[in-house]
Amino acid sequence: MQGYLSLLKIKRLPTTWCPGCGNGLVIKALIQVMESNNLNKKNTVIVSGIGCVGRTTGYLKLDSIHTLHGRAIPVAEGIKTANPKLNVFVVSGDGDLLAIGGNHLLHASRRKTNIKVICVNNRIYGMTGGQASPATPKKTVTTTTPKGNEFEEINTQAIVTSNKNFFARSTVFHLDHLKKMIKKSLENKDFSFIEVISNCYPGYGKKLGFTSNYEMLMDFKKKFENQKNKSILKKNELGFLK
Amino acid sequence: MILINGNLAVVKGAIKSGCGFFGGYPITPASSIMEEIAKDGIKLMQMEDEIASINCAIGASLSGKKAMTATSGPGFSLMQEAVGYAHMIEQPLVIVNVQRVGPATGMPTKPSQGDIMQAKYGSHGDYCPLVFYPNSVSELYEYAIKSFNCAEEAEMPVVLLSDAYLANLYETVNLDIDIGIVNRKLEPVGNGARHYTGLSHQRNSPKPQNPRQYKSFIDRIFKKTYVIAKKHADYEYTGKKDSDTLIVAYGCVSRFLSGLKKKYAFFRPIRMWPFLKKELGKIAKNYKKVVVVEMNNGQYRREVERVIRKRLYFFRVLGGEINIPKISRGIRRIKCKATSLYSK
Repeated sequence: MQGYLSLLKIKRLPTTWCPGCGNGLVIKALIQVMESNNLNKKNTVIVSGIGCVGRTTGYLKLDSIHTLHGRAIPVAEGIKTANPKLNVFVVSGDGDLLAIGGNHLLHASRRKTNIKVICVNNRIYGMTGGQASPATPKKTVTTTTPKGNEFEEINTQAIVTSNKNFFARSTVFHLDHLKKMIKKSLENKDFSFIEVISNCYPGYGKKLGFTSNYEMLMDFKKKFENQKNKSILKKNELGFLK
Repeated sequence: MILINGNLAVVKGAIKSGCGFFGGYPITPASSIMEEIAKDGIKLMQMEDEIASINCAIGASLSGKKAMTATSGPGFSLMQEAVGYAHMIEQPLVIVNVQRVGPATGMPTKPSQGDIMQAKYGSHGDYCPLVFYPNSVSELYEYAIKSFNCAEEAEMPVVLLSDAYLANLYETVNLDIDIGIVNRKLEPVGNGARHYTGLSHQRNSPKPQNPRQYKSFIDRIFKKTYVIAKKHADYEYTGKKDSDTLIVAYGCVSRFLSGLKKKYAFFRPIRMWPFLKKELGKIAKNYKKVVVVEMNNGQYRREVERVIRKRLYFFRVLGGEINIPKISRGIRRIKCKATSLYSK
């Protein structure tokens, strides 16, 4: 807890998120890694897009940019290119980074700009009320797919690793693992992408039969396992690739 | 004095202003701006589309660099959301729009003036843009510098309009003109705890539910633009001033019609937006007939009509077809009956 508050705008609490949302845990992990790596407002900028996760930036005591929907990556690239000394983080959701910002993700990973992209993947458009996103698994019932989603979920790992970039997957339940992954990404001097599986009970879990956010977290505990020295991560495996 | 074309003049102006970043995507007829930038050593990012181009330019501007992007009509349409964003977070930026015939892909190599209204009203919501439209290569150079200065002074994006004709027109330009350069006042990011958000905001925190705060924001950005615009109420009033006809034309059309200056009075706005209401109103009062000639289906004409408060004559030049005898014949034949709004 010590130091955790130093980068948080406490005056702005409570957050806009639902109780039990995984976004808070992502902020916690991020701040703790920043603390231990001496990242502060003198050398770090955080950029986000639109959506629930997009509001993250407003709670941090850093220069933070809340951009347009899907445009977090190009803005971050502009900042990093104009001032290469800065550490630039992008924190945004799956809808923002993979759907509307998918093209930017593809090309940023090709250009290998040194930005750290943290994609909080709750598998749904949470802020707009539970529509199917590109990361929604097949056959899932959402408000826009009442008969079940007919498409496969997007393979972000393939997109990012096709250019030999850093890719890591973690969940909001495995907080220590998540911190380790963020730390690992800082060692990497290229484009880094960290997919954080998160929970959205009102938008997603409810329809799958969960009764609370807690149950969803316990499900992450059961489902996901940590893997080391893998060349490819399966859907329920956590770890990193480089 | 050097012989350069319009696009290169824009680049020379940008270099003179200390532009440090260019985000772009190739598009006819604006591509040569990016090519020249690449030669001149300004940090260039060729992005995957125009949306990314303007957004990375905004990012670079946040990082403390004077940033610009250049495009044509279709790209400008894609950029519109980010134009509104730059107005919201109040970041300086210069957008060059080398116009071509639209809508859609239209006629890519032909000049047009179809983006006059897009430059003013393109993004959603209320904002007050500053738009310049020069009509010669040396003026493009001058107004590229002025655009950067205005963007820095007003802390907002400024649009510099050009067209396919000016872009490829070669003229001699004197590069040693005496214009002061306004330097960046804003503190770059990476040095504080500020929050830049597209949400309606007040002092670094979003206030998306507060109408009073929003109203004061809108009043402020409009006032800010008008203060800067007042310093640059640029227009040209030439020709035979004692004739009974005033021709209002701008950009490349004002060049084609310069042969008519012997017979008629000419008014050419350079600062397109905010509209030169007072200036044009005062001048138009002295003339029986006011004729607007432009390369679109009457975009600026309605603004002129609204200001001079009388019906006017309108000639359109569509599809890049420049037929000067036809226009001059038309002006000669005007009797004192004004055309209705939608007639030819």
